[in-house]
Amino acid sequence: MFEDFLDRYAQSNAIRNVNTYYKVLFGIITMIVSLVSTSPVMPLIIFSLVSFVILFKAKIPVKFYLKFVTVPLTFASITFVFMAFWFGTGSYIYTLGVFNLGVTASGFNLGFLVFARMMGGFACLAFLGLTTPLPEIFSVLEDFKFPEELLEISMLMYRYVFVSIDEAIKMHHAQETRLGYSSFKKSYQSMGMLIANIFIRTWIIGEKSYVSMQSRCYDGTFNTMDDHDSIRSIRVRNLVVLALLESILSIGVFLTSSFRIF
Amino acid sequence: MNIIETKNISYHYPDGSKALQKVNFKVEEGTKVALLGANGAGKSTLFLHFNGILKPTSGTVFVDGEEVKYDKKSLLRIRQKLGIVFQNPDDQLIAPTVKEDVAYGPLNIGLSNEEINDRVKESLKRVGMEGVEKKAPHQLSGGEKKKVAIAGILAMRPKIMVLDEPTSGLDPKGASQIMKLLYELNQGGITIVISTHDVDMVPLYASKVYIMSEGRLIKEGSPQEIFKDVTTVRDANLRLPRIAHLMEILDKKNELTFCKPPYPLTIGEARKRILEKV
Repeated sequence: MFEDFLDRYAQSNAIRNVNTYYKVLFGIITMIVSLVSTSPVMPLIIFSLVSFVILFKAKIPVKFYLKFVTVPLTFASITFVFMAFWFGTGSYIYTLGVFNLGVTASGFNLGFLVFARMMGGFACLAFLGLTTPLPEIFSVLEDFKFPEELLEISMLMYRYVFVSIDEAIKMHHAQETRLGYSSFKKSYQSMGMLIANIFIRTWIIGEKSYVSMQSRCYDGTFNTMDDHDSIRSIRVRNLVVLALLESILSIGVFLTSSFRIF
Repeated sequence: MNIIETKNISYHYPDGSKALQKVNFKVEEGTKVALLGANGAGKSTLFLHFNGILKPTSGTVFVDGEEVKYDKKSLLRIRQKLGIVFQNPDDQLIAPTVKEDVAYGPLNIGLSNEEINDRVKESLKRVGMEGVEKKAPHQLSGGEKKKVAIAGILAMRPKIMVLDEPTSGLDPKGASQIMKLLYELNQGGITIVISTHDVDMVPLYASKVYIMSEGRLIKEGSPQEIFKDVTTVRDANLRLPRIAHLMEILDKKNELTFCKPPYPLTIGEARKRILEKV
């Protein structure tokens, strides 16, 4: 399963043991730089740069990464096309010839900018997701004073996503065994049953977990250990490198701010 | 001294069905007790009364000589003394990593970080799971999950450990590892109560056995006393241990009498009796 691979790479990649704060800082700051850019140039450079780090520093297999990239790429492309056609004003630089549809320069530029920002942002998120196990990201977020309730829910979700996927796979196999997916119509019915059942199972598991948590003195707050990397243990040299890199990217954003294709 | 004692407890579900009826369950300190019963006999329901998760409709529960009260403070105290390991470890393991899960109970008790770290290390060592601290629960096998679930309870340093079907779903080796672990924990002074329907394991393991059927305790005694009463055992949808059953068949159908009832319950015992005859 896809999620399973993601988790496995996060647990064992070449830069797994680099300070978590360093990775989170790199991911988040780079993403912000990519988002504030007003031209598509820097986001695309960031996309290439971060992808390079993912593939050659973290040593994530190219095949897996390409598959992973197709998902946002599809969405970004659809967004690009729609924006190019419907979001611009001014004269057409290309007309479709039917329904009076066409692409305007402003629409094209806007669409391309959104496309670039999406890919840049995705690469930064993918970097975090593929190099840092989620539990460690949680503990960093906790340190950054992220709301406790949201974190608790995310932690439980992280744990039970895998339990639910297992359940769903088992149910799916059981349905297939009884020919639940033998035709298009039956597939729809079976899928509906599966989804309904997952909800019920989730409820039951939730109640059982609550009982087992109570047995371990649960008092309404989800306590966690606070022993992980410290932001202070990042070496000065690495911090300087990070600061320099982000400054160069920011200067790039400034210099290319008025760049347009049309 | 009875470390767990229930006095006439009954529990009725909101729809009126009776899950427990006048149950008197006693566990002496330092012993290993097995609660035998078919599916739906009420074993898990009874267990949930021990640490105050369920409140009996009538009757009282005593743990470590203290009547179970249902205010927050008393419950916290009881739940530290009496840990329950649930049947399905996936219901119990809730934290994103093994270490955090084992630390979950001690954190709720409010111990210092140093103390918690020590306990996590010690508990994982006792169950033979050192070195998996950073793994996520879904990366472990069934047997490993069970061990981590037990470690999570051990980290609270309970006097009593109650396990619901500890070997269900495990392979033979995993099951015998868990039973061996429970034996060692008992040697270390923890009173252990298990529920099971694995009758072959019971004579090897338990010093006292209860049989539960349809919400009632219908028999108690040593394994020998329990399995002597074949009718009661079979009425409770259970059976004799395989080896005892073999001896019974040989005796009754082939007139190959190695021994008169009570039949031996373990392989070792049967071997001794056969060697005496041959």
